[in-house]
Amino acid sequence: MLDLTNVCKTFNAGTVNEKHALNNVQLHLEDGDFVTVIGSNGAGKSTLLNAVAGTWPVDSGSIQIDGQNVTGLPDYQRASLLGRVFQDPMIGTASNMMIEENLALAARRGKRRGLRWQIAPDEREQFHARLTELGLGLEDRMSVKVGLLSGGQRQALTLLMATLRRPKLLLLDEHTAALDPTTAAKVLELSDRIIAENRLTALMVTHNMKDAIKHGNRLIMMNDGKIILDISGEEKKQLTKADLLQKFAEVSGNTLENDRVLLS
Amino acid sequence: MKKTVCVLLALALMIAMTACVGGTSANTSSPSMTSAAASSETASSSSAAASASSSGTASSSAASSSASASDKVYHIGICQLVQHVALDAATKGFKEALIAKLGEDKVVFDEQNAQGDSATCATICNQFVADNDDLILANATPALQAAASATSTIPIIGTSITDYATALNLKDFSGTTGTNISGTSDLAPLNDQASMLEELFPDAKTVGILFCSAEPNSYYQASVIEGILEGDGLSCSEYTFTDSNDVSSVTTTACAESDVLYIPTDNTAASNTEVIKNIAVPAGIPIICGEEGICSGCGVATLSINYYDIGYAAGEMAYDVLVNGTDISTMAIQFAPKVTKEYNADICKTLNITVPSDYTAIAAN
Amino acid sequence: MIQYFASLNFMTLIKVLPGDIAQGLIWGILALGVFITYKILDFADLTVDGSFATGGAVTVMLVLSGVPTPIALLAAVLAGCLAGLVTALLHTMLGIPGILASILTQIALFSINLNIMGKANQAVSVDQYRLVLSSRFNAQAILSGAIFVVLIIAALYWYFGTEQGCAIRATGCTPSMAKAQGININTMKILALSLSNGLVALSGGLTAQYQGFSDINMGRGAIVIGLAAVIIGDVLFTALLKKRQNFAVRLGFVVIGSILYYIVIGIVLWLKMPTNDMKLFTAIIVAIFLAVPYLKERSRSSFSRAGRNGGTQNA
Repeated sequence: MLDLTNVCKTFNAGTVNEKHALNNVQLHLEDGDFVTVIGSNGAGKSTLLNAVAGTWPVDSGSIQIDGQNVTGLPDYQRASLLGRVFQDPMIGTASNMMIEENLALAARRGKRRGLRWQIAPDEREQFHARLTELGLGLEDRMSVKVGLLSGGQRQALTLLMATLRRPKLLLLDEHTAALDPTTAAKVLELSDRIIAENRLTALMVTHNMKDAIKHGNRLIMMNDGKIILDISGEEKKQLTKADLLQKFAEVSGNTLENDRVLLS
Repeated sequence: MKKTVCVLLALALMIAMTACVGGTSANTSSPSMTSAAASSETASSSSAAASASSSGTASSSAASSSASASDKVYHIGICQLVQHVALDAATKGFKEALIAKLGEDKVVFDEQNAQGDSATCATICNQFVADNDDLILANATPALQAAASATSTIPIIGTSITDYATALNLKDFSGTTGTNISGTSDLAPLNDQASMLEELFPDAKTVGILFCSAEPNSYYQASVIEGILEGDGLSCSEYTFTDSNDVSSVTTTACAESDVLYIPTDNTAASNTEVIKNIAVPAGIPIICGEEGICSGCGVATLSINYYDIGYAAGEMAYDVLVNGTDISTMAIQFAPKVTKEYNADICKTLNITVPSDYTAIAAN
Repeated sequence: MIQYFASLNFMTLIKVLPGDIAQGLIWGILALGVFITYKILDFADLTVDGSFATGGAVTVMLVLSGVPTPIALLAAVLAGCLAGLVTALLHTMLGIPGILASILTQIALFSINLNIMGKANQAVSVDQYRLVLSSRFNAQAILSGAIFVVLIIAALYWYFGTEQGCAIRATGCTPSMAKAQGININTMKILALSLSNGLVALSGGLTAQYQGFSDINMGRGAIVIGLAAVIIGDVLFTALLKKRQNFAVRLGFVVIGSILYYIVIGIVLWLKMPTNDMKLFTAIIVAIFLAVPYLKERSRSSFSRAGRNGGTQNA
């Protein structure tokens, strides 16, 4: 479903702040893979996601989604293939617009937007049904402006919007990092459910090693712009945090020194 | 409830503030205002009734007002485009002419200034029409245009307007507008100005004409004088600035490329004479100006009309319309009664220019 | 003082209102244009100072050459759309920051407007041409202005409820989300800026007819008036209608804000303030207007009140 071949990206080339964010990254995702990505700060996790999403062009290499070469397409042209949930709950939804208007926008992702009315009559019922599935009571507040919702509710809504039209690939960029533990757990559980129900291919970046181990069928660890660990299947299910740390030390030659990762 | 109290308090505060500064208000031209106020109520209502019942032509309303000329108080609306020495002088001349002819207690002026904003002219003229003023003085072109649009019945006297045909887009203009508009023009005879330039600088080959592109009067004078000078064998170029900010760079270019400069009666130039002087005098380039104010700031010589004089003449025309009942549509545009050849002694000395004896030095003030 | 008050004739204020309302309605169309860029697209668009005069210039020159007035106004709208397009292209194609791009267009338009008119000022007399409205006939002007305003508000209400209109709203609110939903935000900016400046140019064309002339400087300060109208309308809207947030009503309040601004100018003129201070007093009155809802809220709940209720005893 996703193929990254020799992808490189350097920021601030030629200056003091030069950073090789992605170093010849090779990655292949099968249909239905739910991959978690972990690594220390600056390892390249979010950069990987941004490269796939098309936030900026890569310096070299190619990116293919479901066989389609998207390397030369900007983000809004790749949007029909992708669903995206950001780390910041505020930027995944339009706060001035109502819940149903946001959902209507998401329902038209990738389609030409013309002069028809923003919501078709039968769409409201569909939205109502999907919102009820979330179990957050949002289905009774469809005319409420999104700005009035809490962070967790907005992330849940963003998740729903990302999957309203079945995406080829779902990108989750530390989407629970800004939420409190209870809400984070709820949103993660939702993510699991939606991915499983729709048999989506997903790439989830997280700082939380426990979550990385618990969710998904495959785990990737990044360091210095490279993928240094790729564990899947049974081996992944048996993983513990200590195992991960040890494997990291073996492969990279350093210990994983990052409080956020270690203490989570 | 609280909202209305707040608003009322604010209004009261504002009015109290203005009462303190209100001593310099433009309305103090008639000291006996209580009697003026009382009689103005009846006067305006009677003139309103008169003009409502008349067929709406200016002459008949003037006729009805002349019936009670002895105790009638005239309401004159003055719409001035912007604060400016020349325009202020014209307004002053106008007011003094009417006060001299009618007596201070027989005329009330509503003097308004549009702060340079042409849209505000329309608002001000609406005010005059709503007030049912007896006559409107329009000082500068946008004021005249706004007044013309606002009313076709109230007589409008214009002043400080160079060319009425251009201002009102009249074709086949022969001196009278044929409508409720007349007035005085600030145009000094341009061929005389051209002759002055050639008299003082017979060796000059290139003339630079410096003015603001946003002023239609300047544009008009520039094109006319260019025609005259080129007919006499000089080559002319126009140097325009958009506003006060590019006066300096445009003047520098003009000085580099010309033997002598000409500045028409341009309001922006009038506000920036220091800047122009500081470039032209060191460069040794003399300037012939369209009016005295600019000349005393940066010029060598001018064929001066006096803005106070044309304001005064406008006041006399107004008296004619209001009291004598003359039909304004038959009154021709009047020009400056006298022109004087004047020179700026300091600048002439610095540039080593000797002027003939029939020139008067501009009095330093 | 007493003489001053005695000289003020309240009936005059009533009689001057139609002119103020007419001007307020016409400038209300400009305020609607500013609303689109300032509130919906979240873009500070200073092009309006230029495109307002462009609308006036195009309308007057076409009317003078014999074109029927409605067609002239349509041409003015198209000219305004072009101006907005230029600003949008400078911003999206050349990466110039939005506010600077709009200033560049405004500067360029000065020369362009001068070329359109041939000179700095051009009169169009209601006696010689069939104009849509004129300060000569204020009652008809109010009627025409009101018809324009109602039609435009209806059109905007419909447009911003369509898929495209919602895409523009999303672009202005949260560009990252818009991009993630496949919206080309550059195209949306172009659409919004063109639409906005088209409305501004229409307002300029109507103003030129109302006041009987178009002038190169007629747009100077237009953005300030537009923003003042938008903000006054917004403050009133939230103060009066807290719960029901209908978009069409909101647009209506923007126009009401413009009318109120012109009534304020009318009041200042009527009060016969010293002529030099007219703009100062206009600003003071508008400031009071805007402060009232805030102060009302403060009187209900403020730190000083909480402090008084909570006592002064330290633990």
